[in-house]
Amino acid sequence: MKLTQIKIGQLSKITKIGSVGAVKRRLMDMGILVGEIIKVEKVAPLGDPIEVTIKNYKLSLRKNEAENIDIEVL
Amino acid sequence: MSSKTIIQNTKIITVAVAGNPNSGKSTLINAIAGSRLHVGNWPGVTVEKKEASFLHKGYNIHLVDLPGTYSLSPYTQEEIIARDYLINGKPDAIINVVDATNLERNLYLTIQLLELNIPLILALNIYDECNEKGYQVNISKIESILGIKVIPTIATQKAGIDNLLNELILENDNTICKKPAPVKFNNNIEDAISQIEKNLNNYDAFLSEIVNVRWLAAKVIENDTDVLNRFGISNTEEIIGNSCEHLRLAHDNDLESLMTDERYSLASGLTKEVLIRTKTSKIELTERIDKIVLNKFLGIPIFLAAMWLMFKLTFDIANPFVDWIDSVTSGPLSYWTGELFAFIHTPAWLISLVTDGIVAGVGFVLVFVPVIFAMMFFITFLEGSGYMARAAFVMDKAMHGIGLHGKSFIPLLLGFGCNVPSIYATRTLENKKDKILTSLIVPFMSCGARLPVYVVFIAVFFQKNAGLVLWLLYTLGILVAVLSGLFLKKAFFKGESPLFIMELPPYRMPSFRSLLIHTWEKGKHFLTKAGTYILAVSIFVWFLLNLPWGVENKKDSLLGLTGQAVAPVLAPIGFGNWEAASSLITGIIAKEIVVGTMSEIYVHEIKDEPVPDKYLIEDIEKITIDLGNAAISAVKNVFSTINIATISSDDDGGQDSLKGVIKTKFSPLSALSFMVFVLLYMPCIITGVAYKQEFGSWKWYGVAVLNGFVVAWLFALAVFNIGSFLGYGV
Repeated sequence: MKLTQIKIGQLSKITKIGSVGAVKRRLMDMGILVGEIIKVEKVAPLGDPIEVTIKNYKLSLRKNEAENIDIEVL
Repeated sequence: MSSKTIIQNTKIITVAVAGNPNSGKSTLINAIAGSRLHVGNWPGVTVEKKEASFLHKGYNIHLVDLPGTYSLSPYTQEEIIARDYLINGKPDAIINVVDATNLERNLYLTIQLLELNIPLILALNIYDECNEKGYQVNISKIESILGIKVIPTIATQKAGIDNLLNELILENDNTICKKPAPVKFNNNIEDAISQIEKNLNNYDAFLSEIVNVRWLAAKVIENDTDVLNRFGISNTEEIIGNSCEHLRLAHDNDLESLMTDERYSLASGLTKEVLIRTKTSKIELTERIDKIVLNKFLGIPIFLAAMWLMFKLTFDIANPFVDWIDSVTSGPLSYWTGELFAFIHTPAWLISLVTDGIVAGVGFVLVFVPVIFAMMFFITFLEGSGYMARAAFVMDKAMHGIGLHGKSFIPLLLGFGCNVPSIYATRTLENKKDKILTSLIVPFMSCGARLPVYVVFIAVFFQKNAGLVLWLLYTLGILVAVLSGLFLKKAFFKGESPLFIMELPPYRMPSFRSLLIHTWEKGKHFLTKAGTYILAVSIFVWFLLNLPWGVENKKDSLLGLTGQAVAPVLAPIGFGNWEAASSLITGIIAKEIVVGTMSEIYVHEIKDEPVPDKYLIEDIEKITIDLGNAAISAVKNVFSTINIATISSDDDGGQDSLKGVIKTKFSPLSALSFMVFVLLYMPCIITGVAYKQEFGSWKWYGVAVLNGFVVAWLFALAVFNIGSFLGYGV
């Protein structure tokens, strides 16, 4: 399942990061790591980007990037 | 100790200050260095560099603020600057500012700093908020695990600062703080690192003299070509040998991710050991605010309201002061300078050069100061409070559609007031591409200085449809901005668009002191830089108007001659006369001057009214009273008016006669074409100075000017010819 597909407020666990190179490194630097618990908090009023909680802080990213993050619902 | 001995004993200690964005690093630096802070740019790039030097315990401490970064990867400009400085700048020590409320992600950077094996001291900042949240940090445990000193600080209250500086230099042994314990990775990685370290030393025995080889070995595993090239290592495969076989298998061949994972697991292990979170049931303030501010239906209206408020406050507060500065420089200052020079028997031409060239030039610069100060104050507030990130979040989709970043909206909006501060406002964009692209389309936002031009022409030709014409001009500006954004992106920034992976930091009240320091720095910078250029241009234009010597008719002046030369180019767009051309030329200083030059050329000497006898004391008195009045109007404006004031010097007198001449020289259609041209043709020189300051070169101003001219000419051509075709000509 992709990060863009889960319900708001649902806790899930990251299983795979499909991006490569700079994008992947940037995501990982921000704490998006395999095995990490992630929660989608909000979707921006215009439908993109989204806000997630990861490692106890708030991060926003575009759906483009979120699409490449695989998760499993907890 | 006498001051002489201090100087003799002074040893310079360079200290790099590193930390995450939003960790309160700037505030901490302001708290340490205050007014001793010097703001410049990192060489060759647009990223701000802050430095400060001061004496402490007989040492001359030189602080260098590194850009705020989450990591030290080779991918973003900020991170490259930070790591280059740490490697090449050879700082004696690092102060690592860590947000105590967000320990894990901040410690991830700390781990990378520790790897460099430079003496490091950790400022555990925002310590008050961390306690309020019910977090407990076991400071001595961090100290013993990492082998460094940890000092709790609250930068906004200047708490812990003395402690931090005292620990930086250890009194007893008179040295700086100690080097950290080496960072221990897991066994598999350690094995690989020690093998690679050996290979590296075999490859180049002198490597250990210029770089920490253990650190370099980790970079070999990550395949950080940026660093490896710098140390002349191209044969990475050979150096890795078979040391990483295990790791490759376990990690899908992605060794860079392996190291990132490992560092994070060290950071998170450490956090687990030192941080105790007592559960609180209360929902945090930030979440409560965001529920409203980022709400599906309220988010955009709130954003627009906030923008409108900022715009209104900026220009409402600045405007009375703008008018005051304008009246002082063009009135008493110019008059008394003239008198002074006349008193010492200065020739008339020199008096004219001083008053019309130099004093007027200084006036142009000063007029922008209130706006820039007010603007920078609010922008810094928006950023420091955490709302800027929300604004970007709310607007990103709309801006992304035209290839920009959510944060681009703010500079563009400010452009309607004045393009100069909005170029400075692009500083909030982290990515260079976003920043350049945004500032290239800012000039199409119709600024306040263009309004006086429209006002005159609309009054002459379009009185019945004034609102409609004005609306059309502003809308045309926006439309051109969008189109030109799409075009420039294709021309200069092919490839994928920059990322939007952005922290939404907790809301915080920025410290007033920090706001003021930041605002002052920006304003001061502008004053000195812009002053020089505008002065030069202003003097240049004076010569254009007054050469050859004793020229009577403006048509025969250098300006008039240039105007005549340029006129044919303007003929196809409807106003191929030298008067219009000359006005457009002087308009490059600032667009409102177009009207001034027109009066001067068309109506000749309108200023020659007899000047009543004046007394200096009276003038000084009046200037002071007017300043008081300006302050009062600024306050009144904030509370009373709903309309936003615009920066336009209402021209006094002479306009009626000017309007009469314009009526005979232009047709409604050529007037419209002229206004379109003035709207689009080129960002003024003062905006150019802002480009130079933000980007370190004139290149992007050049692009903006060229783009402006081409677009302006094409659109004016279209307006004029379509109009003529439809029969509105002549």
